[in-house]
Amino acid sequence: MELAYLAAGIGAGITTLGAGIGIGIIGKSAMEGSARQPEASGDIRTSMLISAAFIEGVALFGQVVCIVLALK
Amino acid sequence: MKFFLIGILYTLLLLTGFVNESKAGEAEENRVDLIGKVVDHYYLDFKPAGTIELPRIIYDRGSFHFYASTTRLINKSEHFTDAHYFGSTDMQEGNLKPSSYIIVRTEDGTAPQLDLSITSHLVFFWLAGALVFIIFIPLSRKYQAGTGSETEPKGALQNMFEVLVLFIRDEIALQNIGPKKYLFFTPYLLTVFFFILFMNFFGLMPWGVSSTADISVTAVLALFTFLATQIFASKDHWKHIFWFPGVPVPIKFMLMPVELMGLLTKPFALCIRLFANMASGKILIFSILGTIFIFSDLFGPGVAYGTSWIWVLLTLFVYLIKALVSFIQAYVFTILSALFIGLAVADHSEEHAH
Repeated sequence: MELAYLAAGIGAGITTLGAGIGIGIIGKSAMEGSARQPEASGDIRTSMLISAAFIEGVALFGQVVCIVLALK
Repeated sequence: MKFFLIGILYTLLLLTGFVNESKAGEAEENRVDLIGKVVDHYYLDFKPAGTIELPRIIYDRGSFHFYASTTRLINKSEHFTDAHYFGSTDMQEGNLKPSSYIIVRTEDGTAPQLDLSITSHLVFFWLAGALVFIIFIPLSRKYQAGTGSETEPKGALQNMFEVLVLFIRDEIALQNIGPKKYLFFTPYLLTVFFFILFMNFFGLMPWGVSSTADISVTAVLALFTFLATQIFASKDHWKHIFWFPGVPVPIKFMLMPVELMGLLTKPFALCIRLFANMASGKILIFSILGTIFIFSDLFGPGVAYGTSWIWVLLTLFVYLIKALVSFIQAYVFTILSALFIGLAVADHSEEHAH
């Protein structure tokens, strides 16, 4: 039982780490992109949000697994 | 950013739960119903003015049972009672919060077949729906009459919403669905956007609850997007799922389950994303405010009073982030719906250069 809580906590941490790295990379590329081509910054922002949302979705799957573990 | 916050939340939630438990004996009256605030409940909270209990509708063994409130159900009903009172004769015993009631049958203590009770989430769900009607039906009449379509838009309301409507039509629908079919899906996208936005904003108001922090609400919204995607899908969409063009035959069989999974994970992710984002905001605010009580337990009330302004300011900051997240999540749900619809209805016949 206690191990499930431990797993949930560690899992939540790792998911957060993955999502943070992913969104960080997107933000970095988007900033570079709009610095090189300021006129395309609107399009870049839209695609940045979409990719961030996809990463968020994957990370949320992980979070759901953690919540299920914690509620067991 | 969001995930960093959710990370803290897990820790703080445990701590607040601990504090809540240890203080339960001494301050029973002033206890905040934390779980009741986060999950759905059967009353509207207007503290300090009081609470309004909502009607209970329970379907069991072929008949409907109506009760004006949960308290009335427990005190008056011969069919149902609360799980905590089950077997005891004294109905006044204990002081439970309405959120902790579990309705069971009087005779055997099992749950009734179907609980169709009106909940706080449902009330604000209806309010948001009514608001969409109240604002947009007169607005569309105005455009049909010529104000805005032939002349300039008049009034603050029309100007404010025209910006958003045009943004959704031109930046979301046109960009993601394509010039041929975007006008057909724009009404759906507009409805989804404003409905989610209003539901999210109700969570920011005093005493309000955001219905989008309920997984069943977001699941239904995601289901509608899923249905819109599948019903209006082009032939190529199905071909890409069941018989992927341009790859060897064994690969076609391997891709089929993968594509089918992808079909189902899209609405699932839509549902979970909106739910988790809206629910985490609530829990986060309670967790940050709970830190004051943790400090009071650890270092004494003096330190808690002295440092409370930090947590109140932090709560204000989180509240502003919630306002931002309300907008972003409504936008993300709409743009992803548009994207999925756009992918499904796209006709690949003219550009077949795989």
